[in-house]
Formats: sequence, structure tokens, C-alpha cells
Amino acid sequence: MRSVMTKSTVYILTVMLGAVLLISCNSNQKKQNAEEKDIVESVSVDGKLVDDFKKSKLIFYSLPSPLETAMLIKRAGATYNEDLLNPLSNIDKYSTNRQMALNLGIYSADLSYTSLFDQTQSSIKYMGNAKRLADALGIMDAIDENTLRKLEENIDNRDVMLDIISETFMSSNAYLTENDRPAIAVMVLVGGWVEGLYLATRLTNGSVDNNKRLIDRIVYQKLSLYTVINLLEEYKNNDDISYLLSRITELNEIFEQVEINNTSKIEAETDAETKVTTIKAESEAVISPIVFEQLMKKVKEIRTEFVS
Amino acid sequence: MRILSLFCFFLLCISTTFGQCINFAKKVGKQQLGDYIHDGNYNATILEEGESAELFKTFFSEQKYRVAISKVEALPDIHMRLLDKEGNVLFDNVEHDYQLTWDFKVESTQMLIVELNVLEREGDSLELINGCVSVMFGLEPTKEKKR
Repeated sequence: MRSVMTKSTVYILTVMLGAVLLISCNSNQKKQNAEEKDIVESVSVDGKLVDDFKKSKLIFYSLPSPLETAMLIKRAGATYNEDLLNPLSNIDKYSTNRQMALNLGIYSADLSYTSLFDQTQSSIKYMGNAKRLADALGIMDAIDENTLRKLEENIDNRDVMLDIISETFMSSNAYLTENDRPAIAVMVLVGGWVEGLYLATRLTNGSVDNNKRLIDRIVYQKLSLYTVINLLEEYKNNDDISYLLSRITELNEIFEQVEINNTSKIEAETDAETKVTTIKAESEAVISPIVFEQLMKKVKEIRTEFVS
Repeated sequence: MRILSLFCFFLLCISTTFGQCINFAKKVGKQQLGDYIHDGNYNATILEEGESAELFKTFFSEQKYRVAISKVEALPDIHMRLLDKEGNVLFDNVEHDYQLTWDFKVESTQMLIVELNVLEREGDSLELINGCVSVMFGLEPTKEKKR
């Protein structure tokens, strides 16, 4: 998801509109290959306008996707618990755009979780539910019958299954973003993020001492929460987003009691041969049992509302 | 009526332009991740010479990430840096011949910023090139064998 920071919104919007129209409608320059045929263009614009246009900077906020969150949960040594998933039968309750978008994210998170734990039959069913919600939201072609068939054909190949899941999530997100429905796209992302947090908190069985690595994953979601809030802030003129922002702010009030501090300078070590950079820093995160209990309660409350 | 038709045509032009980077991201961007699993997030847009973008992301410890930036060939090189939240440069691809695919791991979870800047071609041409740029994050697959 992205936003544009400008000094003079109206002026730049005018410039951008002009530029977009020029970009969109200008005849194409020489193309390098067929793949790029429709995506490389040139445009001649007034020098001053160009300078002002360049002052804009695109800002993207990348939330941990449902797939990444599920991988983090699994790597932390958590187990599989089907009882935590949003029941498939709940789908009939969702009729508004907000309900459908949030639960598309939630079912996507459940789908990722089931796939990583090799619960293939559940994965196929959750993909079916994701398809139903994507269809209801008018997301064309993100998940089609072919996707379901490919998933069924590859139940013994987890990497292929994960690839199919990641592609469908990207396609849904891209379709909404590029078809002027970014608020819906944000709701899908937020639904997925909340479900990941819900699964992680429940899998601790309520104890900060039970699984330190999993607790660590949960605590550091405080950093992702910054991204969630920024995403929601961008579209807060939308009533649904404004409501979600108020709910997420309640969660933020609890996360503010969590302390995360870098206890050493951040340094990087790059190995040019292997093309790997390691970011070295020591960090300390502290959450008290009381705050963790509050967090679990709030996450459950919000998630219960989303799936109801 | 004529104005309305013209307006509709312009809207069509806009939607067509914005609808193009998903195919680029799927067919070109994702390929750069190799055997890493794409996280599923969509970060792609049309950028122009001289334009820049920043992407905020939390990098979790114990997870190795591949960051793959792709651009249409006609665009000049892209200057990519990885910064911490204080703006300290942790990686700069200028030192590595403008490589656009690189792996990162963090010893402790950090919110980091991937900063991109599309370089400008030399010369006085007022003709500006633009095209799709995608930023894809890949997750190193788990080593375990299934079942």
C-alpha cells in the first residue's frame, strides 16, 4: 500500500492528474520487449512541473502478510490447533464490504496456517471460502476454479501450495489497489494481521513463560502496529476504516506499555560474495504478565467482533 | 455529452495505466526471488526517472529475507538503500554495482526502511521515462521435509 507526501496537495494533485493523463494517453515510445509493451512510456512535461512532481515521495507500508505471520508462528515452535480457526460455516454471516474484506484476510491467515502445518484438506476448504469472499467483493480472477484445482493437485508439495497462496493474496490486493478500492485492500490486510496476532496469542496458552520465542514474535508486533496505524490513517475518511482505526488504537494503548529498546548500536555486515547482509543489533523487549493478559483479551475481543 | 465522453476516456486511460504493474510483478518481479517464498504482499507502482519511494517493513529475527527490486529495462538503474529508523545506512547497492536482489537477516527484530531512487539519465532530454517498479519480499523456506 502506498501514500504520497506532498507540500501542496492541490497543486501536486493537479500536476499528478496532468502527468497521469499524459502518461496514460501519450503514444508509446520504442518498446524493449513484449512484456514491457504496455508499461514503459515517455512523457514530455514542463521543467518546473517536473521538479515539483519529483518532490513527491511514494511511501509504502508493508505489513507482515498472513503467510509470513504463519511462518513466524511455526518457526517459534508453536503447534497446530484447528479449534482456533474461524469456522468455515461463519462465511454465511458476512454480507457487508467490511465483513467480507476483514474475513477474506482472516481466512487467508487461517489458510496459511493450515498449509504450513500440512493440513491440506483444511487448506482446500479455507481457499474455497477465500474464493467465495473474493468473488463477493468483485475481485476478478484472483482465485478461480483453476487455483483450487492447482491446490488440490499439489497437496503433497507444500512449497507449491504456499506459492499458490501467496499469489492469490497478491492478486487480490493488487486488484483492489489498482481498481481504486484501496480501503477494502487495507481491511483485508488488517483482518489477516489481526488473525495472525490472535492465533499467536492463543497458542501461548496465556502464559508469558510458556513459549519465549512466540512471546517475542507477539511483542515485536508493536513495530508492525505502527504500519497498521499508518495504513488506516491514510484512508480514515472511509467510515469503515475510521471505525477500524478506533479499534486498533485501543490495541495500541496496550502495546504502548510494551518496551522495546535497542541495547546496542545497529551495525551491518555485508558478504558481497553470498550477497547477504546481516543486521547486528541487540534488542530487549519486555512485557509484564498483566499487560500480556490485557493484550490477549483485547485481541480476542477485536477478532471475535470481526468474525461475528 | 462530448465532455462527458472525453472524461470517461481519460478515466479509462488512468485505470488502464494503474492496472498494469500486477502482471509485471507476477511475471518479472516474482521470478527474482528464486527459491524464496514470496510473502504475498503487493508493492508495485509506476515510477519515473528521479522519483523515489520508501517502504517500511518489520524484519523479524530468525527469518532470512530476500529483497528483489525489479524495473522495466528502459528505466535507468535504481539506487537502493536499507536504512534503520534513525536513517543510518545499513546497505547501499551503489557499492555493489546497483544490484537489485539481496538477502538480509537481522539478529533482533527491527523496523527498517527500503529506499529506492530511480536515477536520471544523463543529458538535457525533457523526455522522461517511466515504468513499473516492484519490490518483492521473499521468505527463506523451512528446511524440513514434508511428512
